Amino acid sequence: MEVDHPTISWEALQDGNVFYRRHQVYSISGKLPDLGDFVIAGCRYGGPIALMRDTTKVIALSRATPAFSKAQIQVYSPAGEGLLLLSVWDQGKIIKFGWTFDERLAVLNEEGTYRVYDLQGDYQQYSLGNEASEMGIIDARIHENGLVALTSTLTLLEVKGWEGGKPLTLANPGLTQPPHSWAVIPPDLTISRHVEVLLSTEATVYSVDNLESTDQRLSRGPFTHVAPSPNGKSLALLTYTRTLWVVSADFQRSLADFDTTSIVGVDAEVRQVEWCGNDAVLVTWDTIAVLVGPFGDTLQYFYTGPTFAITESDGVRVLGPDACEFIQKVPASSVSVFRPGSTSPSAILYDAWDHFTRRSPKADESIRSIRPDLAAAVDECIDAAGREWDPYWQRRLLNAAKFGKAFLDLYNATDFVNMGQVLKVLNAVRFYEIGIPITYAQYTQLSPTQLISRLTARNLHLLALRISSFLSLPSSAVLKHWACAKILRSRPSASATDTALDEDVICKSIVEKFEKVGDADISYAEIARKAWEVGRTDLATKLLDHEPKASDQVPLLLSMKEDGLALNKAVESGDTDLVYHVLLHLQKRLTLGSFFRVLEEGGAHLAPASRLLQVYAREQNREMLRDFYYSDDRRVESAVLCLDEAANSLDPAAKITSVKAAQKFFSEDKERGFEAKMMDENARLLQSQQQLEKEADGKIAFFGLSVNETIRVLLINGMAKRADKVKADFKVPDKRFWYTKLHALTETRNFEALDAFARSRRSPIGYTPFVHHLVEKGYHKEAASYVPRCDASKRVDLYVVCNEWRMAGKECKERGDKVKLEQLRRTCPNTLIARELEQILSSMK
Amino acid sequence: MAAASTSTSDDQTSRPSHDTDVPLDISVLKEIARKGLVDALNSVNGAKTLVLDPSLAGPLGLVTEVALLKHHGVDKMFWLEPGPLSSTTTNIVYLCRPLIKWIKIIADQIKRHGRDGQKHLYTLLLVPRTSTLVTRILEEEGVLGDVTISSYNLQFIPLADDVLSLENEAAFKELWVDGDETVLFNSMQALVSLQKLYGSFPRIVGKGDYAAKLAHLLTRHNHGQGGSAAGKVASEKLDSLIILDRRVDMISPLLTQLTYAGLMDELIGFKNSHIEVPVSLLNASNAPPTAPAAGPSTSPSTGVAVPASLTKEKKKKHHLSTATDPLLAELQDLNFSAVGRRLNQTARRLDEDYKLRHKAETVSQLKDFVGRLGGLQSEHQSLRLHTGLSELLVPHTRTEEFNKSLEIQQNLLASYDVNNQISAIEDLISQGADMQVVIRLLCLASITTGGIKAKTLENIKRELLQAYGYNYLPLLLSLSSPPLAVLLPTPLPPSAPPELAATAKYPFTSLRKSLRLLIEDNEIEELENDISYVYSGWAPISVRLVQCVAQKGGVLSNPAEKEKKAGEEGDARKAREGGVGRVQAHPIVGWKGFEDTIASIPGETVDIVQSLPGGPEGGVAAISTLMLPREQSTTTVVFFLGGCTYTEIAALRWVGRQNKGRKFLIATTGIVSGKSMVESIAGISNASGGTKEAGL
Repeated sequence: MEVDHPTISWEALQDGNVFYRRHQVYSISGKLPDLGDFVIAGCRYGGPIALMRDTTKVIALSRATPAFSKAQIQVYSPAGEGLLLLSVWDQGKIIKFGWTFDERLAVLNEEGTYRVYDLQGDYQQYSLGNEASEMGIIDARIHENGLVALTSTLTLLEVKGWEGGKPLTLANPGLTQPPHSWAVIPPDLTISRHVEVLLSTEATVYSVDNLESTDQRLSRGPFTHVAPSPNGKSLALLTYTRTLWVVSADFQRSLADFDTTSIVGVDAEVRQVEWCGNDAVLVTWDTIAVLVGPFGDTLQYFYTGPTFAITESDGVRVLGPDACEFIQKVPASSVSVFRPGSTSPSAILYDAWDHFTRRSPKADESIRSIRPDLAAAVDECIDAAGREWDPYWQRRLLNAAKFGKAFLDLYNATDFVNMGQVLKVLNAVRFYEIGIPITYAQYTQLSPTQLISRLTARNLHLLALRISSFLSLPSSAVLKHWACAKILRSRPSASATDTALDEDVICKSIVEKFEKVGDADISYAEIARKAWEVGRTDLATKLLDHEPKASDQVPLLLSMKEDGLALNKAVESGDTDLVYHVLLHLQKRLTLGSFFRVLEEGGAHLAPASRLLQVYAREQNREMLRDFYYSDDRRVESAVLCLDEAANSLDPAAKITSVKAAQKFFSEDKERGFEAKMMDENARLLQSQQQLEKEADGKIAFFGLSVNETIRVLLINGMAKRADKVKADFKVPDKRFWYTKLHALTETRNFEALDAFARSRRSPIGYTPFVHHLVEKGYHKEAASYVPRCDASKRVDLYVVCNEWRMAGKECKERGDKVKLEQLRRTCPNTLIARELEQILSSMK
Repeated sequence: MAAASTSTSDDQTSRPSHDTDVPLDISVLKEIARKGLVDALNSVNGAKTLVLDPSLAGPLGLVTEVALLKHHGVDKMFWLEPGPLSSTTTNIVYLCRPLIKWIKIIADQIKRHGRDGQKHLYTLLLVPRTSTLVTRILEEEGVLGDVTISSYNLQFIPLADDVLSLENEAAFKELWVDGDETVLFNSMQALVSLQKLYGSFPRIVGKGDYAAKLAHLLTRHNHGQGGSAAGKVASEKLDSLIILDRRVDMISPLLTQLTYAGLMDELIGFKNSHIEVPVSLLNASNAPPTAPAAGPSTSPSTGVAVPASLTKEKKKKHHLSTATDPLLAELQDLNFSAVGRRLNQTARRLDEDYKLRHKAETVSQLKDFVGRLGGLQSEHQSLRLHTGLSELLVPHTRTEEFNKSLEIQQNLLASYDVNNQISAIEDLISQGADMQVVIRLLCLASITTGGIKAKTLENIKRELLQAYGYNYLPLLLSLSSPPLAVLLPTPLPPSAPPELAATAKYPFTSLRKSLRLLIEDNEIEELENDISYVYSGWAPISVRLVQCVAQKGGVLSNPAEKEKKAGEEGDARKAREGGVGRVQAHPIVGWKGFEDTIASIPGETVDIVQSLPGGPEGGVAAISTLMLPREQSTTTVVFFLGGCTYTEIAALRWVGRQNKGRKFLIATTGIVSGKSMVESIAGISNASGGTKEAGL
């Protein structure tokens, strides 16, 4: 079989230094309607295109086209196969549609509502909010991870991601009329990592992000087209005078200027300005496309009708009336191998292999000549193989690489093996029935898992499964999708008796399949939800039984109104947030009585849930908590709740009421007699404190103090009689009273009163505490006066504590304790005292 | 760590020779935490005002610094507290734990801004994850639409190179008083992250009801979720996870901690590795390291007055970390009685090192000296700090209250003359001792004696309420009801729930014997030859339990003691430091040998061998591979659910030093002390810095 040499499709640019190639991927003659009549959105990475009739154009009715009257969006694969026909809203004009990263179609209408469709036609609907819907949306830009909408008041709204995130208002550019054209640089390509909007207005361009709007101060505008390059670093702008101007994204460096009017045969309006990779721009008219290189040199392509170009990261895909083509800069490795006259090692290696297959001895000679670069040559051949579309050339290049690596002593063949695998996958998905014309570079960017999920989205489960096992990737996602699809397809049979049987069969077949092929981590819950959504509750319950993760089970159980079960599963999971989720949901949905009953019926098993409810309610919903305790006869908890309120209330009357309420609750429980009594005391104390404050004309604060504190404050303020009364009223033991009084009198330095108090009767706490406390407070002299009243055996040490060494010495003498005196002499702080002590010592002889 | 005790130069050469056990590198966790914060902040574009949950300031200070926040667009920082918030930036970022009180404050501030017509963009970062509860409350308050809710997953923070903490101070109260098991789930998540980094735990051993719950959550997570391949493989570096819940050993935190770090925590407060010290201690220019608080206030009176005397001088938060403070590593785990001597030694050595400068004759010698000068100066600085700190501590340890309470503790532990101890506690109340001291002693008395006589208890409770205020009644109720049940009357009232009776039976006296808890050896403090040195003669039960799993020999007899008999000179210190006496660590075989003892402690017992693809086919085979003597050292993770004390950390480090081939990595929900536990149950919160503007 003779196959065209790769260089046949190459065309040189820049004096033959750079080559571009145009490869026909699919022949699609007559498969697509006339692209000129449609608004089109294309998906990157070999994805499909979506078409909607352009209502601004007149259309001949003779064509055999489907009903155009309704708002319909058709989706075609790059191979021209119809994938989907969407009937979107009847009301609300569609403003914009575009593709998300995971190949879903986002459609936005003028009311600010947007839907995200998958390739099966299922959708999620979100809104840009009330304000947006009142103002109305006039235009939007949809990028892979979000959208930016332009409202009728010319402000910009941004949505991040496709989970219905809250729309953010971007800085107001202060436009007075809609921009001539505009574009969005996605957040992952900007320096700030936040989305940047470029608005062409009058002669200049505003760049807007969420903080500020910057006038770029240009004078060449207005621009009819603004197109950021795939890496976000450059912009292609087309002026009203049809000059293509390529500039860096910060408008600082002008990269190219090209007057498109110089091209022969272009008079009609420019259809598109798209990037071909990151270094060339493709400008299309109805039948002509011109590729403008970085130095203003061009290549021209001709078509029989209108085309649609889709920028890819390494080239541009062009759908014409007859073919789907891919135009790209020829990759370096391919140039190196195939460029005529190339003397690069890889070219020589390829040549050597060619000789080898023809049994020519030149093979050996060539190999020897590139010996030092052989490893690099092998790598380059492997890479070049990846860049070829045709399996024939892929095979030849890999063979050359295989031949070369035989001459290497140590060679890690991983790259070689991987490339072989990847090419198998790529060739499989490029097959026209599948219709994903993805290049090797795009594949590595997109990641294999994404590719697999694109296949599953097309319901190509078998291929997806085979590819994932071929690449040893987890197959769970594929299986899950398959199961959902299976449930959707298998309509429940008509007769009721068969239904149950049917469900069993389906459930069994799904579970069996999972256990056979799947990994451990398969979420049955999502499948169950699908089943439940289509009204097959039995099947959902059956599938849910197999779900190990409670966090997935619970939300579905809640929507299925299996309250008790949901709560049980949530508690079992140990995830308190999940428990809250259920509790709050139930509290909202059920009456208070039946809500409590659910908790009650759970018994000990649901105790953690009931405790969580208390934690929540104590802060946020006390009324409910009171009811909860009351309905459960939990007196102690009710009382504690009252006390908590008492502690927090500032109003004295309310505080007393709360304490009394607590007392009442305690008294209803016969085990809690002590607590009831204490609370009774508490209430009495509070009342007497109120009384005391009144007596003191509100000058002294008593309310809320403890009994001890009350006594202390009374004593400090010289209300000793009152203090005695409090002592009597609350049966304060002597010991505690004495300590309190000692501390209070010391604090006020009322040593006379202290002395009187000490003499008033025999101290129940002895006099040692007097000494210690006074010393601690720094009143050594006063402390010493209490030493004689202490135990004789302790006096010496106590004098020492008071720094009264001489007294200590005397005490020793009185008791005739020589040993102690000796010891004192040794430990005393200075010689003066030592001498005195010595004197005493000598006098004792 | 404490091996580095004698001197600088020769120590470095001698240490690596037998120290092949390299500790697990956990600094990566700090990096992860820091990166998470940066990413979270960067998700909001432009300048922003950061409003910070005060309880998070400490933990955040351990992973980041203000400069980093400023670098990532934080213009101003405020504490999250009630009242209006004025912000000059459009973006306001709230960073807090998902507690209802915070959310209500936030909602209130947003509503105020709405009324004043201020336009702001609000982002709420919840630690460690978002919560339905928050969404609900914001919805109820009607501001849900204005807030972008996101999360900042702050998990384990390394406090030292062998201590990880979730820094959740409220964990104990949430679990045992409120019954809020969120901590359990968060702990599980944090342990899962640990497994993702270092591989799965081949074996999980644990004791206590909540510990069992956590272990089951963890194994179920490992089973249920495929997740990443890394997490599924049995770890090479970790040999097991030991989970102990705080309820298993309530005694340790109730006792007064006597190690340097522990005592600091008890008396000054040592939170999030930060300590508040008088500014003069930190100032390098302040030459003489004299006691900072001169005059009469040096000798503080009763416990209540203690903080007052400390506040006299302006205080500053200081980050104590072994990385920057060479002395801390030596001192932190010492019994406080030995600290003074160690400081003295260091001072003398430093002095000699400084004197070397006079000996320097040649230029190269001088150069050598100058090269070491930086190290000497930082050591000098840290010596000054620690001398100052211990001088702060000494007066506290001299107070009558402190010594009385120590005496009561020791007597109760020895079950000596119990009735007298209880009346001594009563005396403490009349003397107006610190409330938490009294409560701790009471609980200790209740646990060690199996309950206090009902009539006596009632009297004491009445005294307590009168002396400290009736508002402590809920505290008393919490302490005496399940699942905490640490303050019980005997006999129990007939209507007491059955679980109360079960938890009440703490087999104190039999444990004291079987686990060799009380060591009556006067030399203990000198030799530090058993973990009991940390409480001057009492071994913390929690650490004994760890020994039951990871160093079985150490429970029954004293390894160092044996060593003393074997070696002629009996120089215990040398044995400890030189590692001559270190035994090859035995493999983890669960509770084997101590089953009966463990069973007698209330609470579930856990011993799970995780069958993982790492070891050849699960169960039995995995054990056999574990039995093989290992060449490289392994790490055993000890997780304290509900917090652990500095003292327990010190004791565990001691255990780690006795083994060859096994390191301990201590993980905890937070550092607690008896004081912080009692205060958290009582609802006393230490108010943080009064300024409106926040700092870390």
